[in-house]
Amino acid sequence: MRLKGDDDGTVVLANGLSVKASDDEVKLDEGDIQEAESSLREGLSLNYEEARALLGRLEYQRGNVEAALRVFDGIDLQAAIQRLQPALSEKPSSKRNRSRTESLHSVSQHAASLVLEAIYLKSMSLLKLGKAAEAAQECKSVLDAVEKMFQHGIPGMMVDAKLQETVSKAVELLPELCKQAGHNQEALSCYRRALLSHWNLDDECCVRIQKKFVVLLLYGGVEATPPSLAAQTDGAYVPKNNLEEAILLLMMLLKKWWLGKTRWDPSVMEHFTFALSLAGQTSVLARQFEEILPGMYPRCDRWFSLALCYHAEGQNEAALNLLRKFLNKNECPNDLPAILFAAKICSEDSLLASEGVEYAQRAIANAHGVNKHLRAVGLRYLGLCLGKLGKIAFSDQERSCCQVEALKALDEAIAQEGQNSDLLFDLSFEYAVQYNSNAALRFAKEFIDATGGSISKGWILLALVLSAQRRYLEAEVVIDAAIEQTAKWEQGPLLRIKAKLKAAQSLPMEAVEAYRLLLALVQAQRKSFGFLRSTSDRINEFEVWQGLANLYSSLSHWRDVEICLEKAKMLKPFSAATFHVQGSKHEAHGETLEASASYFNALSLDLSHVHCKVSLASLLWKRGSKALPVARTFLTDALKVEPTNRMAWYYLGMVHRDERRLLEAADCYQAAAMLEESDPVESYSSISS
Amino acid sequence: MSNDDSSSTTISSFPPSNPTTTQQRQCSQYDSVLQSLTQILGSPLPDSITLSDNPPFSLLHNHHITTQITNLLLSPSSGAGDDSLCRWLYDTFQSTCPDLQLLVLYFLPTLAGLYLSRSISRQPLAGFEAVLLALYAHETTSRGNQPLTFTLPNLTYPSIYHESKSPVKNRPTEDPEVVVFSQALEPHGTVRSTKRARIVGVALELYFSKIALMPLSSKLEFCRFCIAWSGFKEKDIEKEEEEKEEMGRRVPLPWELLQPILRILGHCLMGGGEHERWKEMKVMANDAVNCIYERALHDMNPQAILASRSLLSLGKMEDEIVWETSSCLPTSTTTSYNETVAQVQDVEKNQPVNQD
Repeated sequence: MRLKGDDDGTVVLANGLSVKASDDEVKLDEGDIQEAESSLREGLSLNYEEARALLGRLEYQRGNVEAALRVFDGIDLQAAIQRLQPALSEKPSSKRNRSRTESLHSVSQHAASLVLEAIYLKSMSLLKLGKAAEAAQECKSVLDAVEKMFQHGIPGMMVDAKLQETVSKAVELLPELCKQAGHNQEALSCYRRALLSHWNLDDECCVRIQKKFVVLLLYGGVEATPPSLAAQTDGAYVPKNNLEEAILLLMMLLKKWWLGKTRWDPSVMEHFTFALSLAGQTSVLARQFEEILPGMYPRCDRWFSLALCYHAEGQNEAALNLLRKFLNKNECPNDLPAILFAAKICSEDSLLASEGVEYAQRAIANAHGVNKHLRAVGLRYLGLCLGKLGKIAFSDQERSCCQVEALKALDEAIAQEGQNSDLLFDLSFEYAVQYNSNAALRFAKEFIDATGGSISKGWILLALVLSAQRRYLEAEVVIDAAIEQTAKWEQGPLLRIKAKLKAAQSLPMEAVEAYRLLLALVQAQRKSFGFLRSTSDRINEFEVWQGLANLYSSLSHWRDVEICLEKAKMLKPFSAATFHVQGSKHEAHGETLEASASYFNALSLDLSHVHCKVSLASLLWKRGSKALPVARTFLTDALKVEPTNRMAWYYLGMVHRDERRLLEAADCYQAAAMLEESDPVESYSSISS
Repeated sequence: MSNDDSSSTTISSFPPSNPTTTQQRQCSQYDSVLQSLTQILGSPLPDSITLSDNPPFSLLHNHHITTQITNLLLSPSSGAGDDSLCRWLYDTFQSTCPDLQLLVLYFLPTLAGLYLSRSISRQPLAGFEAVLLALYAHETTSRGNQPLTFTLPNLTYPSIYHESKSPVKNRPTEDPEVVVFSQALEPHGTVRSTKRARIVGVALELYFSKIALMPLSSKLEFCRFCIAWSGFKEKDIEKEEEEKEEMGRRVPLPWELLQPILRILGHCLMGGGEHERWKEMKVMANDAVNCIYERALHDMNPQAILASRSLLSLGKMEDEIVWETSSCLPTSTTTSYNETVAQVQDVEKNQPVNQD
């Protein structure tokens, strides 16, 4: 049935018959529904429901929602369904009867579509009057009726287009009505019903429903109960919660898009990005971004998103390569977030630091206008990159220049963004590695205050700086305070530093006790850490054995050293620290050759291992005059890395003395004697950020 | 034809607009809860609450009283161990009656917002901490030492929504990937400073699980505090608000806090309808997401940038598409529907409705 707009009035067409509607409209205007209805029934040989349906639609289309509702109210859907049902569920019995049955079908379907559309329009009218809950009831009855009529699903080819249209509209409308009525839980099951039953929906309609379902799942705040058992087909995957269901649907939508089956909608990728980054699944997200074919997605956006994903996964090299592409002068050379990320990645690796300096400077130059606030971020990474650069500088001058500039940049950053506590940490750290421990101390304290002591790397930095000032007791107080503020599982790094502090104070028994606690924690963790527990709190067992070996070696308990080294080697066969302790053991036993072999092995693993250099130099010095120049080289090397190493100054003094440079020797002894600071009990770089 | 049996009963079982009337008799604690609240507020509660079938529900939707309580929370001396309001919130939550617990959660944005901001200045906050620990303990018990996980869908397996093209025997045999969404909870008797973010974060996860029942005013308050936490509120607003009331400050935002924050903001931005008040909320949520995005840029936190940036562009798209579903809802209905809703609201203004 359809309405035809003619110049002289609307013509109602139904079941192949037509009636001019203007007469009926006059009657409707007079408010005489009954009369209009009977004239329609006579003119078109319609039954009572069909006539009402027609009239109602007329009213609806003229915008008389309330009047339409009055007309629709009179329709007894159940009765209409009863009449339609047998005709529709009947199957064509034989070829001979086919044409007759088909025409019967089409007549019944016309009638059905008329009545169902009426109920659908009734639902729409209710919605317009703000009665969403009632509208949902009506809309649902349309679907229930369709289910009764087609018990085996809607057959693809046999259905009247008009009927299909009504069904599709109703399927799509129902969950929206439930949402309007504030019944989100019902809306969820209506979406499922729409997607799981056989409504013969077209692709676009299905995609629309899936997208709206995803939005409700992700943002509705209502946890859906898993789909009922009846919906589960054999062996098929059934999502167990909102997130699973949403991600599954989004993956399907993305796949449809890649296969060219649906129009691109950027919101799908955004929902997907939101869901997966919230779940911490940036690697899966990266995989999806990788799968996008060229030309389907803006490539710069794709590169940047991919870089963020890789960076979140710790794959900095891949991330940086993408950012380099992105920042190419032919792409988006001035995109501030990308420049900043490139600078950040470079600041974590001294070999990339000089590239990082360039990025940071570019960021500072580009931070104006609305982005002015990002200048502080640029300055921060400039400072961090320069600090890293200073570490690998060839000359003293170059190093001190980098260090001064690094502090300047960080100071400027903090002047701009004083409330950013991370900057306090960075400044403290930079001062600490530059052996300005008083300034480091001040900023470390400020950092702890600014974060309310909630970040444990602040406590650790403070304790290490105190230990560098040989204020071991105070450092211990800090560590104890930190332990009190930390849950058992996360106390590992704190206990390790505590043990080293005890050892530094020559309190071996207490140090051993601290290590014992650590090992107990390792045991407990091994038992309870399933794959579901985070591994970030896991204690590095190797470090525990290595620390114990160092401790026993300083006490010359060589048997215990042996045991600890064995344990350590099982966990990490090649480590400079292990070889160093082994060398000390050989040395103590008078096995000079073996000792130097161990030290050389250690140095081949870690060229900057200061303790090895000093030990090796001392061995060479003991050998006599021929080896003295080599010993001196090792010692000056060691002092370059660690200017506060007392033993290095002492042996350098001895070498100078033996080489008859008494003035230099005296200077070195003085340096060794006057050094107030030492290195921290553990390298600053061990602080994980 | 439907495979989903449950759906056929759904509409007929729509809950009544006041869903909890039947539970009223089960919750005998109402009287004592209301009585102690009267003492704290220093003035009797209106009849609309005391004589209501469901007092917690009426209280939750009584803007006047909730504002009064919020203002008490905002007073500079609140949150100490002897704070009677914190005691009330604690006791009310411990009642284990869902309606009363929802009432306590209403105030979580204010409480958590103040707590995180003030914990930096080392004020005595045992009162706030007691309430937060009660929420945390509730979650710890209900999760039973298990992390929140989900299985990563894999399109090579058939699912209820799609068929897999690969034949059954060629299907990959690897185990499905299980993802931890929120780590298992250890019980905590006190708030250790390094666990502060986690405890507040878990309380926010609990808040999110009830967010559909939460009046908008509570969510608006949450957005306000997000802006304060980010440290990116506009300078002039800052001045105004300093005069008016304490509205929080920049705090460390580790992922354990950001994750629930972004989920809640996602709901505030995308979970609403066409309701007028939702629009106000959307504007506010958009501001909050923007601030979190700026903060994530300063912290250079890739995950937070990805999530907040997506929310921002989704918010923008939402503005552009009014009703993409024009095929199912004629465009002409949108205006008249809104008008009707507005009229209906005028009439129903004084009655408690589901969405504030």
